[in-house]
Amino acid sequence: MGKVKIKKKSTLIDMTAMSDVTVLLLTFFMLTSTFLQKEPTIVYTPSSVSEEKVPMNNLVTVLISSADKSGKLEDPAVAEGKLFISFTGDADSTLSSEKIRGMMLDEAIAIYNEQHKNNRITLSEAQKAEFRATNMMGVGFQDLPQVLSMSISERDKFMGDMTNPKVGIPIDGNKNRDGRLNDFQVWLKAIYNVAQRINNEQTEGLTAEERQQVANLYTALMRKGQGIAVKADKDTPFTTVQMVFDNLQTMKLNKFSLMTALKSENEPTQ
Amino acid sequence: MAQIDTSGGGKKKKGAQKKIAIHVDFTPMVDMNMLLITFFMLCTTMIKSQTLQIVLPTNEDVKKEQQSQAKQSEAITLILDTEYEGDKPAIDAESGKTVHNIYYYEGIADTTFATNNYLRKEQFIGNVNHEAQGIRKILRSKNEQVMKEYENLKNKWKNKEITKEEFDKAAKKNASDSLKTRPVVVIKPGPNTTYEGLINAIDEMNINQISRYSIELPNHGDTLLLRHYEQAHGQTIIRPTVRAKAAAPAAAAEASTPNP
Repeated sequence: MGKVKIKKKSTLIDMTAMSDVTVLLLTFFMLTSTFLQKEPTIVYTPSSVSEEKVPMNNLVTVLISSADKSGKLEDPAVAEGKLFISFTGDADSTLSSEKIRGMMLDEAIAIYNEQHKNNRITLSEAQKAEFRATNMMGVGFQDLPQVLSMSISERDKFMGDMTNPKVGIPIDGNKNRDGRLNDFQVWLKAIYNVAQRINNEQTEGLTAEERQQVANLYTALMRKGQGIAVKADKDTPFTTVQMVFDNLQTMKLNKFSLMTALKSENEPTQ
Repeated sequence: MAQIDTSGGGKKKKGAQKKIAIHVDFTPMVDMNMLLITFFMLCTTMIKSQTLQIVLPTNEDVKKEQQSQAKQSEAITLILDTEYEGDKPAIDAESGKTVHNIYYYEGIADTTFATNNYLRKEQFIGNVNHEAQGIRKILRSKNEQVMKEYENLKNKWKNKEITKEEFDKAAKKNASDSLKTRPVVVIKPGPNTTYEGLINAIDEMNINQISRYSIELPNHGDTLLLRHYEQAHGQTIIRPTVRAKAAAPAAAAEASTPNP
């Protein structure tokens, strides 16, 4: 009877193939990814059957915060209805998000200072640069210089605190109807003006290509109604959303889109 | 695979240097790649949000003569409401969805209650067993002529007789075909309606190919109707607004300034 000899095998596993696969996967994810934009608060949008996709560029997003869902707050509604606004330009073009943001900021501050002659705000170049680099902004104009001087982590913490009354673009601060716009309306007017003005080719210092891109923005905003997207939580009361709608209507931006998630419907058969 | 064979043909020469198999261990490389993949997977959005486009009328005063009047027979008004439990929207135990009620009437609201044109209650049910249910059934029957043609077009598209573009174009034309009887829907979200309720309602418009609809705030007549419904059915519909902050929609309208 021959003894069965167990051969000693090396436990080394060849990882080359594995490495090949992971590199392929990595390449796939790197190429297909679009990064999540940093938003100060998370909202769950309602779902609809609409199949139209949110445009990638030339988009103004208005985010409406939802009531607190963690249950830590005594009154969850405190966190509700805070407004944040973000501007996205064309990713691949010379007229990038940063440039769009800069133009909007300059215009908005000009409008604001014209209306609040006693309460002017001025931003340093560094602060303006900070604004251009920030995706979503949600404070009143008076607090803008202070918030823009903060470091990024400080600012994120500041804007993420929905109970802070300073967070959120003021929208109802004009009960006395003295003809001034509220802060949200100032932003809307700035968007409108920038799009309008460049569309009429009155801005110096832009190349023909850049003008074309702003013209695209203008068309998206004014004609097709794809330029402004309102993003709100599904449990937010209509009255809160209505306030934003109403301001948009007042600023002659009647056409806009609502952000929704996709819902599938089983089709009726006939 | 990860070794490099350096044995050189098999014949061993005397005095030749001993050759060592070069072996590269790829395990750390794989570890690092996996970490990177995880990072990219967590940071990306594969599903993009959809958008629903709406067009609201201008806020400016429109003279009464310039307002377009809808035919009474074509008009249908939906008053939306969301049920609440405490300060959170009530959730139906069975479907796990928020409970939205729709109180609807056809034509002009009869606040004298002389005729039988009272409010009726419906819900967003969608399709059950491939059959439209709830408010969808009512809207569908109101828009029958358009829907019939729409189904025709859809079948053509499914049988590959027409392309998607042609279908979309034809469906759009069909939905606004003035020769057909089409309803005019007025959506009136009550103060307690959640945003989801409004989206559901607009969704029903798209599903039922209704091209003419508007979003308005409920008026005094609607309150009267709701009161009457409460009395007739012994239910409480009109509740204080859940959010004290969002007191009256009218106040919100006040806050917005006239055009600069």
